[in-house]
Amino acid sequence: MSAAQVPDGRALFMRPDKGNCIACHRLPGGTGPATKSDIGPPLDGARLKGWDSDKLRALLVDPTRMVPDTVKPPYGRHRILEAAEIDRLVEFLRALP
Amino acid sequence: MRFPEILALALFACVPVAHAGAGAVRADIAARLAAAHPGVAPADYALGAAAFDDERRAQLEANTPAPEAAAILAEGKRLWTRKFRNGRSLAQCFPNGGRRIAAAYPQLDAKSKRLVTLETAVNQCLRSHGEPILEAADAAAMGAVLAYVRSLAEGQKIAVRIATPLAEERFEQGRRLYFTRMGQQNYACASCHVHNAGKHFGDTALPAAPGAASRWPFVREGRAISLQSQVRECLERMGAAPFPAGSDELSQIDYFLTALATGQPIKPNAWRPR
Repeated sequence: MSAAQVPDGRALFMRPDKGNCIACHRLPGGTGPATKSDIGPPLDGARLKGWDSDKLRALLVDPTRMVPDTVKPPYGRHRILEAAEIDRLVEFLRALP
Repeated sequence: MRFPEILALALFACVPVAHAGAGAVRADIAARLAAAHPGVAPADYALGAAAFDDERRAQLEANTPAPEAAAILAEGKRLWTRKFRNGRSLAQCFPNGGRRIAAAYPQLDAKSKRLVTLETAVNQCLRSHGEPILEAADAAAMGAVLAYVRSLAEGQKIAVRIATPLAEERFEQGRRLYFTRMGQQNYACASCHVHNAGKHFGDTALPAAPGAASRWPFVREGRAISLQSQVRECLERMGAAPFPAGSDELSQIDYFLTALATGQPIKPNAWRPR
């Protein structure tokens, strides 16, 4: 997949066949659809304060390394997302208000 | 690594907590759910997502009985009473024409030591009379038969009791499958229906495990969806290759879930949206 073919982070966050993060996490108003999702914490700039790109990337690649009993899917380890897609998601998350 | 291999690895590598017996497992799951949702009556878990969502509950009540249930039941009755080539019928294979039998399934067959689900029992009857069997995953035929025979047990309380070492073993096999992470998403069935029951996946509340076995089949888009079909759909969503329809693994999960629902009344053929 070339860089131009990688969907943007917002799309990856929403797409059921990709991250589908929106199923578990709510987003700040105006950054995505309003949902009742509450399996994971709501995500916003305050919540993600202190999460630099490396730490976020590591979490998305294999969250079970940080939290062994998490239900968060291992997006990298199980090849749900490619490395470039994880990078796009990290950019999206770090830009949340 | 392909995902069937990942699934196999997960099954071996992700061993759930030690088994404490069916009674203790039931009590533990009930206690977890009661602590997480003190305002929800355990009897309401059978409503599925609607137990945790007033709007969904109102939709369910507005669609009771399910609009397409009558047609499904008519087809199920036709298949149940249809004469075989030898003049017999499914109805004649079961006591009282099949009335009030459903609450005792799955059963453990002491001779073969295998679980007999309602689907298995239907097919055993067909096979013994030289008739073609029904595919367990065929909603149009098997689904309709299940809808009808379970309607003949409407209100009967589920009575699957785990009273022998072999029954405990089968229950434990079902429990292990239910609590084992599998597939690309790395979920276990219990991740959603025990540990996060009542929370929202998108806008849908996650149904609780003890409510799964009393209301099936449910009616969705005109089709009767059995418990085993529902489990197979979940496995697909988890990114796992579903256990084959009619497999021992699905029978064990069916047995585990039905044992969790012991004492609940059978209320099949409720409406459910996609």
